Amino acid sequence: MGIVIAVISGKGGVGKTTATANLGLGIAMNGENVVVVDFDIGQRNLDMILGLENRVVYDMVQVMEGEVGIKQALIKSKVNPNLSFLAASQTKDKTVLESSKVKLLLESLKDNFDYVILDAPAGIEGGYEHTIEFADAAIIVVNPEVSSIRDADRAIGILDSKSQKVKDGEEVVKYLIINRIVAQMVQSGEMLNSEDILEILNIKLLGKIPEDRGVIDASNQGKPIILTDKSIAGEAYKRISMRICGKNVKMEDIEREDVGFMNRFKGIFK
Amino acid sequence: MFPWSKKKKSASIAKDRLTIAIMSDRRNDTAPFMDEMKAEIIEVVKKYMSVKAIEITKEREGDIEALSIDIQLDA
Repeated sequence: MGIVIAVISGKGGVGKTTATANLGLGIAMNGENVVVVDFDIGQRNLDMILGLENRVVYDMVQVMEGEVGIKQALIKSKVNPNLSFLAASQTKDKTVLESSKVKLLLESLKDNFDYVILDAPAGIEGGYEHTIEFADAAIIVVNPEVSSIRDADRAIGILDSKSQKVKDGEEVVKYLIINRIVAQMVQSGEMLNSEDILEILNIKLLGKIPEDRGVIDASNQGKPIILTDKSIAGEAYKRISMRICGKNVKMEDIEREDVGFMNRFKGIFK
Repeated sequence: MFPWSKKKKSASIAKDRLTIAIMSDRRNDTAPFMDEMKAEIIEVVKKYMSVKAIEITKEREGDIEALSIDIQLDA
């Protein structure tokens, strides 16, 4: 029986879909069976980030409506056979989701995979609520920036009141990923550091990801950054994925990292 | 930083502003079931008296969270 992890953020554009794709691959690289599901109905994007957009035939709404079987709709990753993908519907809108059908879909995915990772839509409306409703755990993605952190707090508030686990008196496990950290800016006091963000949101840290231009280059090609050797964001995703799989990996200290003389020098002219 | 620039670092300004904004967001956060609960309470009270309006607020003071319910009766 697998576990369902919702990747949420509140605010859009913080790297939620990128995180979902990379963590899905990262967990698959650890030998686990993973499925990533795009819950952003009407604004499908996970397929592009994974480079699978040309292979989408059926979507999760068609599966929920019983039009096609789950096996027909699942797409296997080209780069790692442990990773499967279920696309969002692009033609319908978010109101199409129904609790009972979402529950059935997730139950059948849990029977077939170790990890079921859901890419939530931005915002805190219906589509988001359906994504978190039956989740066992949530990964909150933020940028070290005021609007992202404030919106994340709202999303966490809804998670804590609307998820089925909480209604049953249990706890939804919550972890934070801080994405797009610029070490130089943290060091010069121009960017919130991770301790402050954790204190404000009152949440545990799963990992920190440095700002990396390679992420856009990777999404241009539909190859998640975790596949790019020695990329700084990719390495961070590898460490986070190992943590999710229960491995004890030291927390990276990317904020205090020496940015190097040349970088500091360049910083002056930025 | 140069000694003559006494400007407060923007990260600490961000922290202060966020702390206050989030505190206020959480205070005003009406639980999603609030409307349903309101309707149910009105139904119960209505059995005995006529109700004009009902106002429910969630308040937090330190570690204590309280729900205050104001029911305005129809005179």
